[in-house]
Amino acid sequence: MSFSFVFDSSGEIWLCVLVDVEPFSYFIFVCDTQRLVKMVKFTAEELRKIMDYKHNIRNMSVIAHVDHGKSTLTDSLVAAAGIIAQEVAGDVRMTDTRADEAERGITIKSTGISLYYEMTDEALKSYKGERQGNEYLINLIDSPGHVDFSSEVTAALRITDGALVVVDCVEGVCVQTETVLRQALGERIRPVLTVNKMDRCFLELQVDGEEAYQTFSRVIENANVIMATYEDPLLGDVMVYPEKGTVAFSAGLHGWAFTLTNFAKMYASKFGVDESKMMERLWGENFFDPATKKWTSKNTGSPTCKRGFVQFCYEPIKQIINTCMNDQKDKLWPMLKKLGVTIKSEEKDLMGKALMKRVMQTWLPASSALLEMMIFHLPSPSTAQRYRVENLYEGPLDDVYSTAIRNCDPDGPLMLYVSKMIPASDKGRFFAFGRVFAGKVSTGLKVRIMGPNYVPGEKKDLYVKSVQRTVIWMGKKQETVEDVPCGNTVALVGLDQYITKNATLTNEKEVDAHPIRAMKFSVSPVVRVAVQCKVASDLPKLVEGLKRLAKSDPMVVCTMEESGEHIVAGAGELHLEICLKDLQDDFMGGAEIIKSDPVVSFRETVLEKSSRTVMSKSPNKHNRLYMEARPLEEGLAEAIDDGRIGPRDDPKLRSKILSEEFGWDKDLAKKIWCFGPETTGPNMVVDMCKGVQYLNEIKDSVVAGFQWASKEGALAEENMRGICFEVCDVVLHADAIHRGGGQVIPTARRVIYASQITAKPRLLEPVYLVEIQAPEQALGGIYSVLNQKRGHVFEEMQRQGTPLYNIKAYLPVIESFGFSSTLRAATSGQAFPQCVFDHWDMMMSDPLEAGSQAAQLVADIRKRKGLKEQMTPLSEYEDKL
Amino acid sequence: MEFESRYEISRTAEFIRGGNFTKVALQFPDELLKDSVRVASALRNELRRLGGDGNVKDASLFVMADTAYGSCCVDEVGASHVGADCVVHYGHACLSPTTKLPAFFVFGKAPMSVSDCTKNLVDDAVTSGKPILVLFGLEYAHLIHNIREEVVAACESRPQLEIQFAEVLCSDMNPSNKQNTSDQGMVRASVLIDDKSFGKLAGNRGIGGLVWKLREGRKMEDHLLFWIGSDNSAFVNVVLTFNACEIVRYDAAENCMVTDFSQQKRILKRRYYLVEKAKDANIVGILVGTLGVAGYHHMINQMKELITAAGKKAYTLVMGRPNPAKLANFPECDIFIYVSCAQTALLDSKEYLSPVITPFEATLAFNRDSHWTGAYVMEFRDLINSSLAESRSHSKEARFSFLQGGYVEDFDTQENDKEEEEGALALANATEKALQLRDNANSLVKRTVKSGAEYLMTRSYQGLEIHNENSLPEPYLIGRSGRAAGYKDEKSEMGNF
Ligand SMILES: Nc1nc2c(ncn2[C@@H]2O[C@H](COP(=O)(O)OP(=O)(O)OP(=O)(O)O)[C@@H](O)[C@H]2O)c(=O)[nH]1
Ligand SMILES: [Mg+2]
Repeated sequence: MSFSFVFDSSGEIWLCVLVDVEPFSYFIFVCDTQRLVKMVKFTAEELRKIMDYKHNIRNMSVIAHVDHGKSTLTDSLVAAAGIIAQEVAGDVRMTDTRADEAERGITIKSTGISLYYEMTDEALKSYKGERQGNEYLINLIDSPGHVDFSSEVTAALRITDGALVVVDCVEGVCVQTETVLRQALGERIRPVLTVNKMDRCFLELQVDGEEAYQTFSRVIENANVIMATYEDPLLGDVMVYPEKGTVAFSAGLHGWAFTLTNFAKMYASKFGVDESKMMERLWGENFFDPATKKWTSKNTGSPTCKRGFVQFCYEPIKQIINTCMNDQKDKLWPMLKKLGVTIKSEEKDLMGKALMKRVMQTWLPASSALLEMMIFHLPSPSTAQRYRVENLYEGPLDDVYSTAIRNCDPDGPLMLYVSKMIPASDKGRFFAFGRVFAGKVSTGLKVRIMGPNYVPGEKKDLYVKSVQRTVIWMGKKQETVEDVPCGNTVALVGLDQYITKNATLTNEKEVDAHPIRAMKFSVSPVVRVAVQCKVASDLPKLVEGLKRLAKSDPMVVCTMEESGEHIVAGAGELHLEICLKDLQDDFMGGAEIIKSDPVVSFRETVLEKSSRTVMSKSPNKHNRLYMEARPLEEGLAEAIDDGRIGPRDDPKLRSKILSEEFGWDKDLAKKIWCFGPETTGPNMVVDMCKGVQYLNEIKDSVVAGFQWASKEGALAEENMRGICFEVCDVVLHADAIHRGGGQVIPTARRVIYASQITAKPRLLEPVYLVEIQAPEQALGGIYSVLNQKRGHVFEEMQRQGTPLYNIKAYLPVIESFGFSSTLRAATSGQAFPQCVFDHWDMMMSDPLEAGSQAAQLVADIRKRKGLKEQMTPLSEYEDKL
Repeated sequence: MEFESRYEISRTAEFIRGGNFTKVALQFPDELLKDSVRVASALRNELRRLGGDGNVKDASLFVMADTAYGSCCVDEVGASHVGADCVVHYGHACLSPTTKLPAFFVFGKAPMSVSDCTKNLVDDAVTSGKPILVLFGLEYAHLIHNIREEVVAACESRPQLEIQFAEVLCSDMNPSNKQNTSDQGMVRASVLIDDKSFGKLAGNRGIGGLVWKLREGRKMEDHLLFWIGSDNSAFVNVVLTFNACEIVRYDAAENCMVTDFSQQKRILKRRYYLVEKAKDANIVGILVGTLGVAGYHHMINQMKELITAAGKKAYTLVMGRPNPAKLANFPECDIFIYVSCAQTALLDSKEYLSPVITPFEATLAFNRDSHWTGAYVMEFRDLINSSLAESRSHSKEARFSFLQGGYVEDFDTQENDKEEEEGALALANATEKALQLRDNANSLVKRTVKSGAEYLMTRSYQGLEIHNENSLPEPYLIGRSGRAAGYKDEKSEMGNF
């Protein structure tokens, strides 16, 4: 970091702070002298001190649909903390620091920033909650809006207690808004809303007050429809209301925002009512006629009668903006004086838009409106953990660990969740970034690291290591601190060789602690590419690079195919592109890689019940298994995916769900032998035999054969999905020696294949739900591209009050490569799709019919995997008497 | 006479006479078994003719077939059953050194068009511009001399061409006679383990019974390998071992050149996968795949040590030639290591429940500090001496599993040592833990087991269940009769399928 002093025209001294934002670029932040004082005073020790005031902390994520202005808004908040000057807010990116983020104008990784904010006594007068002084620490995480990076949102939500939901006032609530909102509420994160890009109403669309009101209220209503379903007794009402101050109106780009509180304060005394009463009048069906000076609950029809919001909020802003834009300074200064807004002398020379920005920022600074909203309406860690403990902790809810989390107890045992790994400037190393939920983490502390596969009482995925350093972020700078207490986010140095993505940390001796629940992502890594290095001897670099890549992103999966190829799997095309770029440039030091075309994995299922009972004989011919395959009932595979039904259930409960929801016979439900693949997959084996001797003896062998076969189906060795295998009969040799695993396991596999093949096997392909927003003239282009890509539209809706259309369609993942760019080309850049994996879709084409589309696909997959191109015929699996 | 020359009757007889062997085992692979009687009688006649003076006792000949392991190896155990004092091995051989018995090899003589082969060879040399190393299937060894002469003639006009021929290691071996064999470049068990004498041979290269010496300063990668022969396991070994070299194959049976080896390269990648998979294994079965190849015992012990040091459990299994059904009897093993001669070592079939890897691959997998570099070693002697086997230091980072896409730590070394001391107690603990696990989960929940005992406890069926409460004798039941392919009581009802 370097400093330099600059004198500007008015003679005031400015300080330029050159912050080194390794490794991408340099940013210059210009701060005026006043703010500098604040910044210099504000040291790591000071920040650390506030961390102890658990009631004065707010951990929150900024979430929204792509491009609704999260990063811009975050920057404008950062400005108030004295790191970026207000003047440049909106122009300088504090959060999007990666070169590719700047280039594409989208956020890729979520970034955390700690803000310090001091409230006045006056402002806190009406605050009823617990607090310790007027100083507040706000840990803010700006998240990406593009659906491909939504795992970053998940990781951000886990370590925050509140969410600022940003909605573009023109575009309204979009897919991603809904998805992230649902995710937040699912984690019991309390939301507040801001209707953003308000400036567009005044400058771009020039809508009148009533129309604007209708638009805003629709946005809020749409959000509330989603939130209403998440009400729970502990969290209370989670909907947002402008009249309660949980909705803000903002223009992040111009650095201004307000809640109705701002205006209520202004008018309350004038009308002789208290603030909360005034706020109610400023929203909803409250009309005021200045002619009669009367409030009514209906528009009286008189030309001067207007809605409270329009009369007292919208029109004054509109007036100020128009006056500035028209440079009517003679009218402006008196108006500002009346509002109590003073503009610095040197700023009075500004003209047009710059003048407007400056005036609005001074009058309604975004930071105070939004930060106050967060402080008032979002929970402190101490409040939030009281109810979040149930969502967070896997162990019993009455042990010491859950109690410590519930009470946000800094003296309790350490409970820390590492939500993501952040690359350090030190090449190849990572910070473990997360949230302390209980106790304190300190430099040098020996911690017990419980990985995602840790099972209490076992040694698997468990490490005991020392924390080398505890670090907090101040702006872009990392500061080492002695310790960090619960309720705060923290970065740890020295644990990155044991944590892939997530982990729960506790004190070394706390051997009976359970881990914190794993995060549930809304997207899945369905798109895969095989990577190899161009130069064979770079393999060690590739291996090391893949390890690092796996750490750097919450979603990416680096695995290996049976053929020995390294696979990188991501949520979508863009996600993969970014991952591969990081892999090559950052994690492999530029060593070149070759990537294959994207590959999509399929599933194998059956359409009908096997046409007959099939039989296979063991190698020694002394044992015979008879089986049939049939499709699982609709929705059952999904229930297994979601874990509602699985090997760990209570059998009574399982049989209840199966009989009530899926029409199973109660007794049959008790005869499920196993699920698979991997013992939890969406296929099962059910015992339908009657009175077979020694059957219990071969159960394990049949299960082993099934785990194997369901992982590699008969068609193309893809996982099976949604198949129920019924063991119809079994004939076994009387001597145990002749019916061992060696005889039964391979036979079970063969008979499973035979029953799959005789039950009209089909391929399932993954399908995206695509949401596209575009103006009417782009619709033609959208339809034609979707058609060409085997997509189909199932919903087309005009957004009320906008010229925009919302289109929902299903699109096979395999067709999605290049979809985004084709679509942009076909609509001259007006349509922008968001794809999320939605479901598995059955391909009706018969893979057993030579020359069919499915047969071709099977052949392609087999070829890629290095298998015999021809499927093994039924006769290899089925035996005849 | 064609028959006599193909089976090298007179040379064989000289070998037997020369060694004064009295009991000779003739080992035939399945495909040559049909000729065994003729060979034996021809050989007997020849021996009689040689020993015409009458005072030498007749050597008795035994025909051996259906060998327990690969038919490319000398079946010393089989030969010992009849108390043979030497073995004559017919057909494809891997020339793995024997431990006790002297052996004589008859490779058979496959026909080939020498001129066509030479032409291809010279053409390739001209186009590639690289020095060429000619390797071949041993069944073509008898014609290599002719090819060499033709090549020399053809190269007279092109002096820049550089074509080198590998030589056959030997056609007989005698483990008890040191001088004799080492003169021929023969490497034996006792020599193998001794580093000093191995150093002497460092300039020499060899694979599957072929040897050659590289020129000063040359690396294998600088050569174009020209293989004469079929696409058999010997050739696959060449492709794997010298995977950095450019390789072409002259198919002598078809008289054509083959240059597409994507399938073989694929094998290498697949082996890479298996190594990664092996890293995740907890229980390892060591399959004894040879009782003949020198050094096998040493190798088994080395594997056991390696596995234990990696915190995994090893079981040694002797079962002759492995097949899927045999191995599936040990479902507790996550992976098997097949200790066998190099040419039978690669068992990769989809039919196996758990994969089978070679000792070299196991060394890569279970040694934290070793990495897949592309170098591939097939033969014991190279592995025993490789530095890989020695490094035992523990890196600090947790192990990253590419199958699971994250860090996995299989065990904690320090804690494991403690358990070792407690010995029997550890087993009891493990069993108890496994028992608890079964108690609380009513169905099989996936978990890792670290020993056969733990595995048994996770099974739903653990052996005979004796119900004591029912002490009344069971009624007499009439069992099934008929054949397993269809018992009598089923025949009729199943008939309508
Ligand atoms: N008119 C107007 N434009 C804005 C405002 N805020 C942001 N924008 C513009 O909207 C675009 C997207 O802004 P970002 O802040 O990057 O949006 P984001 O939500 O962070 O986007 P992602 O992180 O990619 O999801 C940019 O071109 C901004 O200039 C605003 O208040 N008014
Ligand atoms: Mg952004």
